[in-house]
Amino acid sequence: MSEPVIQIEHVTKSYGTGGPVLRDVSLTVAGGEVVVVCGPSGSGKSTLIKCVNALEPIQGGRIVVGGQDLGDRRVDLPRLRARVGMVFQHFELFPHMRVLDNLCLAQTKVLGRPRAEAETRAMALLDRVGLHAFAEKHPGQLSGGQQQRVAIARALAMDPMVMLFDEATSALDPEMVSEVLDVMVELARSGMTMMVVTHEMGFARKVAHRVVFMDQGQIAEDAPTQAFFEAPRSERAQQFLSKILTY
Amino acid sequence: MPTRPTTRTRPATTSNGVGYHWNWGIFWEMSPEGTGTYLDMIVQGLRMTLITAALAWVIAFIVGSAIGVLRTLPGRMAPLAASAWIELFRNMPLLVQLFLWYFVFPEILPAAWGIWLKQLPAAAFLTAVIGIGFFMSARVAVQVASGIEALPQGQRAAATALGLTPAQTYRYVLLPMAYRIVLPPLTSELLNTVKNTSVALTIGLAELTARARAVQEFSFQVFEAFTAATLAYLVINLLATMAARWLEARVRVPGYGRA
Repeated sequence: MSEPVIQIEHVTKSYGTGGPVLRDVSLTVAGGEVVVVCGPSGSGKSTLIKCVNALEPIQGGRIVVGGQDLGDRRVDLPRLRARVGMVFQHFELFPHMRVLDNLCLAQTKVLGRPRAEAETRAMALLDRVGLHAFAEKHPGQLSGGQQQRVAIARALAMDPMVMLFDEATSALDPEMVSEVLDVMVELARSGMTMMVVTHEMGFARKVAHRVVFMDQGQIAEDAPTQAFFEAPRSERAQQFLSKILTY
Repeated sequence: MPTRPTTRTRPATTSNGVGYHWNWGIFWEMSPEGTGTYLDMIVQGLRMTLITAALAWVIAFIVGSAIGVLRTLPGRMAPLAASAWIELFRNMPLLVQLFLWYFVFPEILPAAWGIWLKQLPAAAFLTAVIGIGFFMSARVAVQVASGIEALPQGQRAAATALGLTPAQTYRYVLLPMAYRIVLPPLTSELLNTVKNTSVALTIGLAELTARARAVQEFSFQVFEAFTAATLAYLVINLLATMAARWLEARVRVPGYGRA
């Protein structure tokens, strides 16, 4: 594996006056690596992934993405975020824009690409996620699975150095989960660096290099995929796996 | 202070117990002002109402949008400042605000500025435009802010994650949807702006209601004068409503928000 794309070092975070949501979390994602983050709800996994592109501030520790420290005031956060793709649970496409415009907005406004070049790139990516025919549609005219595939294409259009997935399939109807997972698997196999918060253990088994298990704001286990599923070391991860894998 | 508004002049004939003399032809008679017919007086008033309302709405819309955006920014200072503006202009009657701008504001300025202000030829007009504009801006701000707050939190996060700056996020992502959501209540505020221009007769603006009253005072045809004014307000506001409906249909997002 190459040099780290994401370095999370001793990060602590709390919301308002509540207790800590993240407690001394350290995690590294190397270039080309696919890391799945799982754990029970409230374990801090979604919060952690939001901290990686500074959508959420942290109170302690540091996060370095692509060699740039998010806490450094000289870092141009919008520029950095443009190179960190993020896919949300509820897709968050911009409803008033056609699919094509959703893909072109940040390309032209943030990266400064000419419109024609942005459209070519957008159409190629829509092709890749199987939605070439939907470029002129509005998000409200698409199914949930289609919207999420568009959202993935929108993030890829920025040529990200890493893709973050925040429970990208948990708001979908069951029959639409696989079409989104297929796109994610294809992406993983193409060598994209990915940090994926998900409960889809099948996805983890298939493409993850490592699985990170979080519990109560801490990383309880960080193991290579095979080792994680065959012999989880922490008791909490054992319980978690026995519960979600028996069905 | 302005000359005290004359108390309502009842047509002398009715107080005598004799029936009211309807005379719709009055509008084609020359007015004693010597500048045209009575109809011309109503048309002048209508024109003044339209210009005043249009400019006041431009101020209300621009200032209100800015204040509405401030109210939804992260941090504490910007929302606090926005709330202060909204409460200041929303909680005082419009009549009081116009009096403050017209009579009090020039007095608290350095003397030379105050005199310059008072001698402006269009002082009543400018006061009405700015006064009504600021008054309505507080109401527009509340609508715009609630439109932005009605959007899913993830929209801002998604725009930010794509690398858009806060200004770009508002310009391209949040405001286009927020305006669509609050278009119906904003239309009401536009109609209110038109109607509120009538308050400016108290500072001497020759708008529609003031001119209708002048017609009545010269001709004693109170019902005809105010029927004309009423119809004029009705037509303006119906046209504005139709324009808003047309705009709503035009900017409707395919597949969005269908129940």
